[in-house]
Amino acid sequence: MMWSWIPDNWSLIWHLTWENFKLGVLPALYGLIIALPLGIVAARWRWFYPPVLTLVAVIYAIPSLALFVALIPAFGLTDTTVIIALTVFSLCVILPNVVEGLRSVPAPVTQAATAMGYGGLRRLVTVELPLALPVIIGGLRVGVVSSISLASLGQLIGVSSLGYLFIDGLQRDFPTEIYVGLVLTIALALVCDLTLVGIRRILTPWQPRREKRSRGAAAVPMRGAA
Amino acid sequence: MSFFSWAWDWVTTSANWTGSGSIPHQILAHLGYTIVPLVIAAVIAVPAGVAIGHSGRGAVAVVNLANAWRSIPTLGLLILLVVYLGFLFVTWLVPLVVLAIPPILINAYEGVAGVDPGVKDAARGMGMTSWQQVTRVEVPIALPLILVGLRTGAIFVVATATIAAYIGLGGLGRFIIDGLASNEYGPVAGGALLVVVLAVLVLAFFAVLNRLVVPAGLRSQAKASRTE
Amino acid sequence: MITFEAVTKRYPDGTVAVDALDLEVPAGKTVVLVGPSGCGKTTTLRMVNRLVEPTEGRILLDGQDIREQNPARLRRGIGYVIQQTGLFPHRTVEDNIATVPVLTGWPRAKARARARELISLVGLDEGLAKRYPHQLSGGQQQRVGVARALAADPPVLLMDEPFSAVDPVVRASLQDELIALQSELHKTVVLVTHDIEEAIKVGDLVALYRPHGTIAQFDTPERLLADPVDDYVAGFVGFDRGIRRLSFFGSTGLSLGTGPVLGADATVAKAQDTGEPWILVVEDGEPRGWIPAASLGGHPGDTPLGRVPAEGVGHTFKAGPDSLRAALDAAVLSPAGQAVGVDDDGRLAGVATFDQIRAAIQAADAAGARDAAEAAGAGQSDNSKKPGARAAQGAQPGAAP
Repeated sequence: MMWSWIPDNWSLIWHLTWENFKLGVLPALYGLIIALPLGIVAARWRWFYPPVLTLVAVIYAIPSLALFVALIPAFGLTDTTVIIALTVFSLCVILPNVVEGLRSVPAPVTQAATAMGYGGLRRLVTVELPLALPVIIGGLRVGVVSSISLASLGQLIGVSSLGYLFIDGLQRDFPTEIYVGLVLTIALALVCDLTLVGIRRILTPWQPRREKRSRGAAAVPMRGAA
Repeated sequence: MSFFSWAWDWVTTSANWTGSGSIPHQILAHLGYTIVPLVIAAVIAVPAGVAIGHSGRGAVAVVNLANAWRSIPTLGLLILLVVYLGFLFVTWLVPLVVLAIPPILINAYEGVAGVDPGVKDAARGMGMTSWQQVTRVEVPIALPLILVGLRTGAIFVVATATIAAYIGLGGLGRFIIDGLASNEYGPVAGGALLVVVLAVLVLAFFAVLNRLVVPAGLRSQAKASRTE
Repeated sequence: MITFEAVTKRYPDGTVAVDALDLEVPAGKTVVLVGPSGCGKTTTLRMVNRLVEPTEGRILLDGQDIREQNPARLRRGIGYVIQQTGLFPHRTVEDNIATVPVLTGWPRAKARARARELISLVGLDEGLAKRYPHQLSGGQQQRVGVARALAADPPVLLMDEPFSAVDPVVRASLQDELIALQSELHKTVVLVTHDIEEAIKVGDLVALYRPHGTIAQFDTPERLLADPVDDYVAGFVGFDRGIRRLSFFGSTGLSLGTGPVLGADATVAKAQDTGEPWILVVEDGEPRGWIPAASLGGHPGDTPLGRVPAEGVGHTFKAGPDSLRAALDAAVLSPAGQAVGVDDDGRLAGVATFDQIRAAIQAADAAGARDAAEAAGAGQSDNSKKPGARAAQGAQPGAAP
């Protein structure tokens, strides 16, 4: 382990971390922006949801590398390709969470709000979405963490990320670089995850501090970096 | 040209179907690289998840496992092993098995832990031994989630085996990696398309398995609650 | 027979759920454990089938310490019914019921046949055998739960708030079913409930718990109503216990008169001659209505009573089978202030005034007190476990709980 390599290549490391961060956070954000209206519709019109879920399950099964390369003819070997692909995957996780989150708002609460005179849109924004927030942020966390580690695959099509350290490390037979890449990727994911937990705590002061797990919930969305 | 036209052209070129490293050869190889790690991971992870779900011991670790697992860049892990060990059987098999364990374990745990506490109490109260409670009640009820875990694991292994081509593994990833290296988009697109088809077939396989294996009572109950 | 000897359950954090409990559940009887939330009644129940192990003391089942038996085997010999039913969602109704027989080695066909017998026994249609639990209503699921507990014909049945999760109408019918079943099967039943009415209705004996794991009074429901040991018990039992207690007194000793009774073809004049303030008109032996004497004046003396407008009979009671409470209720609801007693066919048996009912109550009370005195005189050695006991733990009559 050649520790001196790290300060020597600080600007490279920083650049790659920043690129990886963008490739992790932007797709999740875009995914959220798309998932919110879609999720609101799916929560309202029940018949819409099951076919959407099936579609999401199929898309989520596509190996990331395959989706990256499939987008090359349209978007080239650029980070747009990676961002679009990762947005699609994040969407697959966040959308069900938006729907489940909205559905988890107890019916008596929404009924009380309506009875008090809240119109549909106002009730959605001031009552239902805030209460659905923990579940939605849960989906956002999965989206961000997965995107950060999947972004490293983008390097295989030449898109800058911490994956560069893996590939360069392999080509030069230089484990230090690989370790740095691994540690930074995981650390970046952890920091983003904790930040989102903090944001959730700030936005939902009424929630108990401990993260409550719902029993009998739907299967845990799992992708891993592949 | 679009992705599909590139892929279609390449897949329908008969030359690609003969010789070593041909399409059928890589398809079979990829199947092998998927099935073997999956079965090994399942044999380890399903009993472990069921045991933790039944007894409750170790549950805290399981809960946090998912997040940790998602943050690991598989490419980096594979490359690290290759750098130290060179390209061996172990270099690809062990990471594929180890990385496939979390989704299977977590879903098996969720499945068993999520069984209605009243049902568990009744099973114990009417005189079933722990083994009987697990095999006759908890596992059958948890079966849908266990299958989801296996399905997720399978999809994950298909995808990781694809990437492992970068460190020298055969299979459909070979077409993608080699094509990228030699700037030929044909095999890249074709390989990608075949991998996607394989993934969809895995989904179909598990859908059929679900229909065959899950007790009728659970399926109609799930359907009843979904349409509500 | 189930015996608790100084049983205590103490948890690692110090909470005492059950405190030095002595209790004897006689064989073939229904004993109800009732009390406020957290009083230890459910813990007591779950110690019988070793789902909870006592910290001190021991529990004997037909004289044998239950700790000497393998827990799983013990439980197969004890029926267990819980509030949430715990029916296995992945098995049909008949396979649910057949669980314990199959567990003990019966061939599946025989177990399923037995299951179908039990489905009828608990009042369900045999067509439900192949359905799944989620396709049944709450009341039906509870019945299946009871059938499942009875499948292996265990001598003991444990029930933990079995009827709390269904609506009152269904609950009443399930309680009636249980009483009917017990009169046929004579199982040793221990039932936990928080509902004192259910305890009084269903129990042969009731153990009323104080909030922290001790028993305030263990007695027949009638004695509980007649003679609560202290203010706590009286308060728990409820304010109109005097009237509710009358449910336990039969009406066979109630003397019935026919003074105010006349046929529909009797004349107004004859009615006025009786001097009664109210006349009960009968036709074909059945009571038709009450006529106030004051209204007779407006009719010519030879009018048949059948033509005179009458007020309703009110509520009748079955003379003999019904309780004094039903008789009292009939008197209260009657416009004449007199209870109308009928036989099984609805034909008039006679009429009882408030005074006559009061006399019957006093007679029943005196008889009850005599019986209690005889019972107390007979079995001397260990009163604390027997019914009628004032539990040793600080339950002096009138003492603060």
